Amino acid sequence: MEQLLDRIIAGFEAADIEKRKDGQVFFTVPKPKVLPLINHLKMFEGFRNLILMTAVDWIEDNQFQITYLLNNPDTKTDLGIRTFIGRDGEGMDSIHELWGHAATFQREMKEMFGIGFPGSPRVDEPFLLEGWDDIPPMRREFDTKKYSEETYFPRPGRETHDPATYMKQKLYPND
Amino acid sequence: MSIKDILSPFSGWKKVFDEPVVVKDPVNDRPGAPRYRGFHRNDIATCIGCGTCETICENEAIDLVPVQGIETRDGDSGLRPRVDYGRCCWCALCVDVCTTGSLTLSNAYIWVDEDPGVYRFTPGVDDMPWQREEKGWKKPEGNYEFYSLKREPMEHLRPEERNDSFAEMVRGFSKEQAMREADRCVECGICVATCPAHMGIPEYIRAVRDDDMERGLKILYDTNPLPEICGRICTHKCETVCSIGHRGEPVSIRWLKRYIADQNPSEKYKQILETGVLDKNGKKVAIIGSGPAGLSAAHYLSLMGYECTIYEKLPKTGGMMRFGIPEYRLPYDQIDKDIDYILSLGVHIIYNTTVGKDITLDQLKRDYDAVFAATGLHQGRSTRIEGTDHRHVYQATDLLRKVTLGEEIHVGRRIVVIGGGNVAMDITRTLARLQRLKYGEVRIITTSLETEDAMPADSEEVVGSREEGATVIPGWAPRKIDIAEDEIKGLHVVQCLSLFDEKGAFNPQCNFDNHRFFEGDMIVESIGQGMDLVYLTEGIKEHLEMTPRGRIRVDDYFQSSIPWLFFGGDIIQGPDVIHGIANGHKAARGIDRFLSGTADKQQTT
Repeated sequence: MEQLLDRIIAGFEAADIEKRKDGQVFFTVPKPKVLPLINHLKMFEGFRNLILMTAVDWIEDNQFQITYLLNNPDTKTDLGIRTFIGRDGEGMDSIHELWGHAATFQREMKEMFGIGFPGSPRVDEPFLLEGWDDIPPMRREFDTKKYSEETYFPRPGRETHDPATYMKQKLYPND
Repeated sequence: MSIKDILSPFSGWKKVFDEPVVVKDPVNDRPGAPRYRGFHRNDIATCIGCGTCETICENEAIDLVPVQGIETRDGDSGLRPRVDYGRCCWCALCVDVCTTGSLTLSNAYIWVDEDPGVYRFTPGVDDMPWQREEKGWKKPEGNYEFYSLKREPMEHLRPEERNDSFAEMVRGFSKEQAMREADRCVECGICVATCPAHMGIPEYIRAVRDDDMERGLKILYDTNPLPEICGRICTHKCETVCSIGHRGEPVSIRWLKRYIADQNPSEKYKQILETGVLDKNGKKVAIIGSGPAGLSAAHYLSLMGYECTIYEKLPKTGGMMRFGIPEYRLPYDQIDKDIDYILSLGVHIIYNTTVGKDITLDQLKRDYDAVFAATGLHQGRSTRIEGTDHRHVYQATDLLRKVTLGEEIHVGRRIVVIGGGNVAMDITRTLARLQRLKYGEVRIITTSLETEDAMPADSEEVVGSREEGATVIPGWAPRKIDIAEDEIKGLHVVQCLSLFDEKGAFNPQCNFDNHRFFEGDMIVESIGQGMDLVYLTEGIKEHLEMTPRGRIRVDDYFQSSIPWLFFGGDIIQGPDVIHGIANGHKAARGIDRFLSGTADKQQTT
């Protein structure tokens, strides 16, 4: 693993190396190095499985983090590859040519975060959210509570109480 | 159609005796994973109904509802969360934010019913089979927290920096510290009921978080016109019920209040509080005593347009706040900041004037429309054991007052203080400083009837006393002061076993076989204070209703049976500053009801 990491650091500018448990390492690479690195890992280092792809919205930094989790079944090692892209419609290269099921993850990320993956099959079709007409819901500026209030009707008979107001009514109504 | 198509339906028969791969009874045989997030459970005895689960729920799936058998009381709203499973998305944010750790999710996830109404229930109250299920989601310990369980540390002067000076010990928060501490508050408001003044605690903590000090000051003054003082020496009952205190350390509410007051310069108060011009209504109120209750009443009455005059028997304002609490806990300039603002509202004050001696209550009745008496508890009580009439036996309140007035007091080489309350700790720490200045060493023993865990003093006061060199020995009852050749030699004590009898009456029981002798040449008694009501003339006493326990009877608005005469502060409730402030505020509204003739119409204001 150490030698593998040395090669990744030297060839692909990997940084923020984080060894999480036996056989699992996370690190960050610049966006232009992602595709060459993943190609290299699949072709020459035995990382044949794409376990998942996911994203995180770092709204404060105006960035999305995309994470690829790759597995080498022979050495039982996992690599978590992180990269950062701009939040404002920058998009990311598709890896569906390497693994067909990557298209599904990419379609999900397009729907949930609005991250574009040009060329990825069916990437613009609804994934879970049929008829969605709002901004992608996993973007942090999406106000879930406001959406709930506007979209779903309250069930009849529901009532709630503010603890401080209720305690005033019960304990010191005249103060 | 091929021959295969005809035979294939029968090929399944060859597996007829194999182990089936489908589950016959999915309800019982397909439990969720051990940490699966299924239906809610709630330990309702631990839950305090703080509503943080409701606040965090992004889907508005949770309501707080009253539950039969659970009373609303200090620290518990009496409400419990009810979950609507038409909205719940099982994200478990409610579990992870729960302040008491009572709310969890079971791993049960299968529940089929044709009645949609049943999918809304109160976990822990409505009996559900998964309430007793062990498995499911609990917030992992020590992994992550939505709010810090640790308080922002408050810097104090170290004992060696403070033990020979009266400089303020507590340094106060910096902006960054205050912001971090304010960030720990979940704004549940459970504390508001417990605060005697019912201050807007979540609102002013939010103002700290928003760094809006002017808004913060306005919120403080809605209910408390002495925030610099209260921000330092309030008994902070609010913190004892803070919801964050259930799993961690309570929010430092008192220090945040002080932070707001500290940030606002006194010259901007009138502008911020919009009290530059106050309309007068032509009515006059006399206030006896310039302690917290009197000042609070004067403040709120002035805002309502009344012309207030305070009669103060001492040469300075503040009552026990100035003359009872040592300067290292409550610096005089901070007392002045609060009080000078109140006086700037047009409140008159007449110093060195004792009502009952220099002016009669009847005279006040003639000159004013109403009178509010908040004369406090200033007369120290004596143990009345043998030897207490010696010239070197003192009352703590007398000594503290003299120190504030700058008068010389006797400081013995070895002192024994009797008492376990905050006043006892105040005199212990004051005398420790004076001993160190005079003799270069501290030789004080402070003893109380109560054992360490039952002492009424704040624990930080006991710890502070010890840090400054005093010896605190709780759990001993004074028996006799030993005097030889007209000099005090020390105090005989016996072990105190209990303070109250089974009826709850004060009746100390002692083990007379367990005896100790505390050497000393000066004894200070600090076992409580009594009231001095000599200003009540016979004519007034005749009409004044008293309670069976000998206190003056007042109504909810602190009005006595003599309509123009109101009483408040320590002589009615407390003793502490925040009760005084609350009394003064309520009495001001009572006086307004009385003088504006709205008492019958205006039930709540």
